[in-house]
Amino acid sequence: MSTEVTSCEPRAVPKLSAIPVSRRFHALLFVALAVGLCALPAVVSGYTMTLAVEIMIAGIFTSGINLLTGYTGLVSLGQAMFLGLGGYGIAIGTALLGWPLWVSAPVTLVVVAAIAAAIGAICTRTRGVEFLLITLAFSQMFYGAVVKLRWTNGSDGMTGIPRPDLSLLGVSADSPATFYYYVLAVSVLALLLLWRIVNSPFGSILVGIRENERRMMSMGYAVANYKIGSFTLAAMVCAVAGILQAQYTYFVSPDTMSWQTSGEGVLMVIIGGASVIFGPFVGAAVFVVVKQALSLITDEYNLFFGIFFMLVVAFFRGGVLGALSTLIGRRR
Amino acid sequence: MQYFLIQVLNGVQLSMLVFLLAVGLTLIFGLMNILNLAHGAFFTAGAYFGLVVANKTGSFWFALLIGPLLPFVAGFVLQFFILQPLAQRGRSTHLDLALLTFGLLFATAGAVEYIFGSAFHSIAMPEILKGRIALLGIEYPLYRLFIIAVGIATALALVLVIDRTLVGATLRAGVDNREMVTALGININGLFALVFGLGSALAGFAGVISAPVMSIYSNMGMGIVVTTFVVVVVGGLGNLKGSFYASLIVGMTDTFAQAFLPEAELFAVYALLIVVMIFRPQGLFGAVGRVA
Repeated sequence: MSTEVTSCEPRAVPKLSAIPVSRRFHALLFVALAVGLCALPAVVSGYTMTLAVEIMIAGIFTSGINLLTGYTGLVSLGQAMFLGLGGYGIAIGTALLGWPLWVSAPVTLVVVAAIAAAIGAICTRTRGVEFLLITLAFSQMFYGAVVKLRWTNGSDGMTGIPRPDLSLLGVSADSPATFYYYVLAVSVLALLLLWRIVNSPFGSILVGIRENERRMMSMGYAVANYKIGSFTLAAMVCAVAGILQAQYTYFVSPDTMSWQTSGEGVLMVIIGGASVIFGPFVGAAVFVVVKQALSLITDEYNLFFGIFFMLVVAFFRGGVLGALSTLIGRRR
Repeated sequence: MQYFLIQVLNGVQLSMLVFLLAVGLTLIFGLMNILNLAHGAFFTAGAYFGLVVANKTGSFWFALLIGPLLPFVAGFVLQFFILQPLAQRGRSTHLDLALLTFGLLFATAGAVEYIFGSAFHSIAMPEILKGRIALLGIEYPLYRLFIIAVGIATALALVLVIDRTLVGATLRAGVDNREMVTALGININGLFALVFGLGSALAGFAGVISAPVMSIYSNMGMGIVVTTFVVVVVGGLGNLKGSFYASLIVGMTDTFAQAFLPEAELFAVYALLIVVMIFRPQGLFGAVGRVA
């Protein structure tokens, strides 16, 4: 880790801005990933597969944050609230209301979108550190509400969240390999969708807002609406991760919404390199593996999480992918 | 009525405690444009250092005097040797620095847990401040009145220093035009680090002073620091007087929610913040909109 830190230091960027990653590099990475990921359950043990599932769920969560932070330039410390809302959404839908999963999940996403649009409308009135504080306050508010609410079992959380019923395909989602493919499919879909979004005119406007908001305003774009749009889409992606996470553990608790979870998300964005489409998944992979390794050697997770966080923020802007792609670009 | 009066006093007491934290946070932001998310860490560090001193000497007053020294040094070092150089190399925006202090907050909580364990501690009240005092027909703990008095005294002292002294004038000049102050031969980096240290010391001071009425534990800073964020946003980031009024508003809201509407306990303060954000995104007392 420490050697990588020093090697990328001089090339680090002044702010969360785009690092040009060549198209060929993207394509190469994509093919390698696709082959590797599909073959994974056949070659590795159950533990590695669990790790892969955790990485992909964290990757989807981080992708949502990346749309907001990396592309639109709004740094939020409250995205965990949407992770939690996703989990609680299907928990309430399936366990309390008795709806089937294929109803609960879309309803959850629609509700999260509505909530996010309202919250976004308030939060995007501010920028910079104030935006960071407001999003933090909102997520703390939801956290407080969930801890207090009796019909969601308060701080104990809710159990018995169902995984999708895949008996039509002749498999059970309770088996690790099947659940792995299910999460992989959702990840690919989410990634394709995000890829479409950031390469659309809408995505360009978001980048424009990040680079120079005043100019975008004077060019006649309704900047406020685009920010709210970005906030809402990001929230929905985070909620998808929340649904997957709740299904993965069959459980959701207020801890999902803690501000440490939000911080972990921002950390994964930075590690992966903000505003690179694959970045969040690379960041998630590094983070999950480091977290697992730390839990093997020490109980003081907070201490090392904090130190790791500080080092990454201070020395590691641009992330792993940014460093890799400049290395490859330089060799040509 | 008596219950109501007790709640009012409790509210003022909480407000003063939060103010001691908020004043450092808002001063640091106003001067250096740095959002110090690790402010709660200094609160924790002060409380634990005070605990160590109190255990060694058996004196609350020594703890109150020496406890804030550790956060002072830590704050000075953080600003002078870490945040300032990172900001000056131009690679780190103030958002990066805010995130760095976010990491520090968790590192401190972890370090404290590693050294002291996760048990709850407390510092004994000094003899002279024990007991209750009759006041407007109620009996109120003397120590809580002491906290209120200390808070008001701190506020007055700060207003005097910033409005009436040369140091205060230099600070105000530093906010307005940093280059000019440097050109006049003032070591602005040293001054800023000093202010950062003092703000941190005030947070540590709040940690020690709250120890006899609240418990000391490794995550004690996390809860109160979010309340403090609400205060500085409601008061207008960087606004000293605003943070005093906002402390009272937030402290009262929190206390009254706990007393009369316990279901909304964890909720009321944030609801207040959201209402303020809808109508005045620059804060209730923010005169000039700051494009941060």
